[in-house]
Amino acid sequence: MNVITDHLSEFGHGLVLTVELTLLSLAGALVAGVVVAAMRVSPVRALRAAGMAYVEVLQNIPLLVWLVIAVFGLPEIGVIAGLFTTSVVVIVLYQGAYTAEAIRSGINSVPAGQGEAARALGLTFTQSLRLVILPQALRTVVQPLGNIAIMTLMNTALAAAVGVVELTAAANRVNLAEAKPIWIFVTAGLAYMALSGLFGLVTGVLERKWAILR
Amino acid sequence: MVRTSVRMRWAAPVAVAALSLVGLTACSSSDDSGSSVPGAAGGGKQDDLVAAAPVAANLPAGSTMEKIKKRGQLVIGGSLDAPLLSQQNPANKKVEGLDADFGRLLAKYIIGKPDVKIVNSASETREALLSNGTVDVVFQTYSITPERAKQVAFAGPYYSSGLVVATKKDTTGITSASDLKGKTVIAGANTPAIAAIKKVAPDAKIVTFGTDPECVQALKQGRGDAYVQDEALLLATAKQDPSIKIQGKPFTSDPYGIGLKHGDAQMKQFVNDWLKQIQASGLWAKVWKNSIGTVVEGDAPQAPALGSAPGSE
Repeated sequence: MNVITDHLSEFGHGLVLTVELTLLSLAGALVAGVVVAAMRVSPVRALRAAGMAYVEVLQNIPLLVWLVIAVFGLPEIGVIAGLFTTSVVVIVLYQGAYTAEAIRSGINSVPAGQGEAARALGLTFTQSLRLVILPQALRTVVQPLGNIAIMTLMNTALAAAVGVVELTAAANRVNLAEAKPIWIFVTAGLAYMALSGLFGLVTGVLERKWAILR
Repeated sequence: MVRTSVRMRWAAPVAVAALSLVGLTACSSSDDSGSSVPGAAGGGKQDDLVAAAPVAANLPAGSTMEKIKKRGQLVIGGSLDAPLLSQQNPANKKVEGLDADFGRLLAKYIIGKPDVKIVNSASETREALLSNGTVDVVFQTYSITPERAKQVAFAGPYYSSGLVVATKKDTTGITSASDLKGKTVIAGANTPAIAAIKKVAPDAKIVTFGTDPECVQALKQGRGDAYVQDEALLLATAKQDPSIKIQGKPFTSDPYGIGLKHGDAQMKQFVNDWLKQIQASGLWAKVWKNSIGTVVEGDAPQAPALGSAPGSE
């Protein structure tokens, strides 16, 4: 157990960075997801196509490839930002695609009559989406969004590959000094489990609170 | 209504697929001429090395070596992307370098022919690959440390290297390891460089990347002021890439061992005997000349004394 207690500060810093990465990514992904989902259901054909292209391009290339492209490729054309910032932006864009699809499924689950009624009342597309459709849609997709949140948490570990010393990278460094992989990586795993368990709990509470009884 | 027949609908994609396959084979077979990989110049000497290599007189019954001989192939945990040490030549698919040559020589010593299979391993997986028997030996710039020696047995050391500091050519103010204080330093993830940097410059900010090419790229893109890596690797990089400069001499001593399954004292003794033989016969120096000697001036250094590193006793 000494391997863990001796390196608590390393683990602590890694955990903090993981949580920061996750929360920033989640906030960004939710915004990106809502925007892209709105594009995909909009009456403008070009927007629908752009939304679909975004989702297909982002989802069909692995996150690690995106991270490597952004960290090592973009500086070649003069775009250079810090490793943490780059990682957050990439994870936001990537998870945004998944979030958009989850939200779109929620939008599709809102009965068509709701949209028709909104239009009959004279609401514009944006108004009907913002005031009528999205509030109902988001409530039905709390559980899938919770899954995406957990997936985001797990995916932050990939930032270790591009030099961000989050929990996985921190565990790796401790292991390099101590060579006790079982204790060290099980500890890191338990920390991830605790965080994702927390996410699951919050998701459950929110879902019960916001459930629409039909 | 126009309908394409079923046959027609299949024909087009199949034809495209077939054409692209032809294109691929054409690409891969078109270039088997020269190579820009350092160390490749001595590629033809590999066969001379193997021809001069000794073969063990007898293998103890029931030993690991006997099992390897029966299998007819030595399975080595190693790299395919380490210049001068163990790098696959894209032109002829041969793995070249110091570690690769030693691997082939050991295979010949055990089996009688240099038949090896290199399993691409990483610094995180080597201990596991050895202990579960996926690989017989590890030749991969495997630094001997007492911590690692608790999980694997080390024969050797067969080579002694050290860490050096590299910077971009136009960087000033970093001429040795002690100048790293307060700087952002790039290092390979899971390399001894991390601990070594912390020792000489405790307040340096360390940024790590998985592979050596990534670290070099990061240095060139200015993600750090300096890059600390093994001398042999950096020499090859600096030779290939004039925008990188090596600053000063190695500031650590880093003995490389041959990783074996933990507790296999018989095989460790056997491999050490082999090392003793090739050192005495001058073959060791020839292997060095053929790889690292292609970028370092002068004669081969003295081979490190067997069992001299803590963890290899």
